[in-house]
Amino acid sequence: MSEFVDFALEHLPYILEGLPITLGLWVIAMAIGFCFGLVLAWARIYGGRLAYGAATVYVEVFRGTPMLVQMLFIYLGLPEIGIVLDPFTAAVVAIGLNTSAYQAEYFRGAIRSIPRGQMAAARAMGMSDLEGLRYIVLPQALRRVIPQWSNEAILELKFTSIAFAIGVSEITARAETVGFTTFRFFEVFMIVAIIYFVLTGTVAQLLHWLEIRTRIPGLSQTG
Amino acid sequence: MDDGAIWSVIVSQMPYLLTGLWIGIKLLAALLAVGLVLGLVIALMEVYGHWSLKVLGILFERVFRGIPAIVLLLLFYYGVGGYVELSSFAAAVLALGLRSTAYQSQIFRGAIQAVPQGQLVAARAMGMSMPRAIGEIVLPQALRHATGPWTNEFSSELKATSLAYVIGVVELTRQAKYIISNTQGNILLIFAVVGLLYFIVNWAGNRVLYRLEDRLAVPGFERRDAA
Amino acid sequence: MTSLLEVRDLHKRYGETEVLKGVSLALERGQSKVVMGPSGTGKSTLLRCINHLNPPDAGTVLLDGEELTARNLNAMRQQIGFVFQDFNLFTHLRALDNVRIGPMKILGTDRKEATELAMTELDRVGLADKADSYPAELSGGQQQRVSIARALAMQPKVILFDEPTSALDPELTGEVVSVMKQLASDGMTMLVVSHELGFARSAADEIVFMDGGHIIEQGPPDRLFTAPEHERTRSFLQVIAAHDHEGDGGTA
Repeated sequence: MSEFVDFALEHLPYILEGLPITLGLWVIAMAIGFCFGLVLAWARIYGGRLAYGAATVYVEVFRGTPMLVQMLFIYLGLPEIGIVLDPFTAAVVAIGLNTSAYQAEYFRGAIRSIPRGQMAAARAMGMSDLEGLRYIVLPQALRRVIPQWSNEAILELKFTSIAFAIGVSEITARAETVGFTTFRFFEVFMIVAIIYFVLTGTVAQLLHWLEIRTRIPGLSQTG
Repeated sequence: MDDGAIWSVIVSQMPYLLTGLWIGIKLLAALLAVGLVLGLVIALMEVYGHWSLKVLGILFERVFRGIPAIVLLLLFYYGVGGYVELSSFAAAVLALGLRSTAYQSQIFRGAIQAVPQGQLVAARAMGMSMPRAIGEIVLPQALRHATGPWTNEFSSELKATSLAYVIGVVELTRQAKYIISNTQGNILLIFAVVGLLYFIVNWAGNRVLYRLEDRLAVPGFERRDAA
Repeated sequence: MTSLLEVRDLHKRYGETEVLKGVSLALERGQSKVVMGPSGTGKSTLLRCINHLNPPDAGTVLLDGEELTARNLNAMRQQIGFVFQDFNLFTHLRALDNVRIGPMKILGTDRKEATELAMTELDRVGLADKADSYPAELSGGQQQRVSIARALAMQPKVILFDEPTSALDPELTGEVVSVMKQLASDGMTMLVVSHELGFARSAADEIVFMDGGHIIEQGPPDRLFTAPEHERTRSFLQVIAAHDHEGDGGTA
């Protein structure tokens, strides 16, 4: 056991140098996913036929194909039409576009679950659709979406490891490097597993606190 | 590139892609089977077992859901594979199978708990033993609640099989990568076709599962739920 | 002299059925009118057509002589208050915020002024002490009163009430009805769809009887209750009145 700890301490610094990259990938991709996801959700609920159609195709494609394939497509395929991205950017774009499709569906579900009367009251006061969405529907919808959004956030955090396959030097890639230089694969991947376990656990806890803090008094959480 | 060239590329490479797809499907079937059996066992443990079993089950779930699939794959293939002879396919089945177990056990747990308590109580009151009551009364009804989430799990694991790429399993995605390295070019096209293949398998699988869901539905219950 | 609110020949159909078959009425400043009639005769539809929550198929609505169109819709709605049967308070906002969000976000009033206005209106409906409560923490009657305060905060020219007490338990209708009576006597222009006899008999200037998508008859409560012109009016009002005496409704 102490051997394991020694090994861990020796190589942890190198592995953890990948942590900022992992987190960077994650945060930027989630941000892209949030903004673009809202746009897609809007297109699927309020958009005209063209917007709805395009958004639907987008969502179906990105949810129906593997993340890895999307990443390879962007990193290896786009250069064919002149768009060359470095591994990090390609990974961010791929993960961001992917998560936006999932987030769009969660936002859409949450917005549609808000009783119609809320928007009716907003419009009856003279608010425009956009104002009603902004002040009345979205604040409620975003609260409802937190559980699913948390799951998605944790999922995407794990997905950053896929960037390893296109050469991004995040945690998993570094662990593999250590593995190939020391041939102690089992130990090094256990270390990485523990790191991810701690990361996902922490994020889950933080988001859970967020959910509790934004709860509306008196309202039951189901429905 | 004219249509003829595109078409000839697709036609010539399709056999390789389909071989890869077949391996991917076998991997999917194997890992889902592992997940189904173990997941069911763990779910039953968690619902009906001693509280210590429940804690173990929850721990298992937490661990295998908190670690990325890729790390699990690497851990099993290189890590465990350092001590035990493990083919890349076997490692993939183990890694992804155990991971699927964690997700499926949660699905089955939820499904079992969705069956009203009264069902089990009535069965036991009739004198049925616990195992029989669970097997004949609770589980059949629980299945009804499991099909929806299980369909999602199916889609999710189908996409996860592509990750076996990193440990060298020659499933669809790696096959595509070989083709691209060998034939120089048509990258977008090949990956588009790959994406399409995954999409089709996903769609087909969902259709089958929806049919299954319909066949399992208990008449009269759906309307009551909706009301 | 132009009426404050004028409705001309409204038509509305849902699928096969024509629910409003050419309805016209006028509301003068300070008047309160109650629309009554059997269920399904288009009373609620009428109100929702007036502020275009459901745009009418034909006909016009004029506020102070100006026609409501798709282009000036938001501006027009800001002058027409609407009280819903299901209250529709914004569930994520406290009572005070519900009342002041209109002035603040739509009318551009600054926070301090909007808060004073909101507290005044909450006080007017008797709920100043509940300003910090969320809708889910309030009873039905309290929620409806807050929703009236919310409408008042926009300082509208007219308020439309769509069955304001129908979703309330009988013992809670009284508090809402007394607020409405107070508003009427303060000179607010009101168009109310309701079965509530208490308000109709004592506070309304006119009762409008609707059936089958038409206005059958309208006139002062005294006349309509004692000597209506049409048989349908009489029989309907009789049923309502009988029902009223059986239950505990229509309290002052």
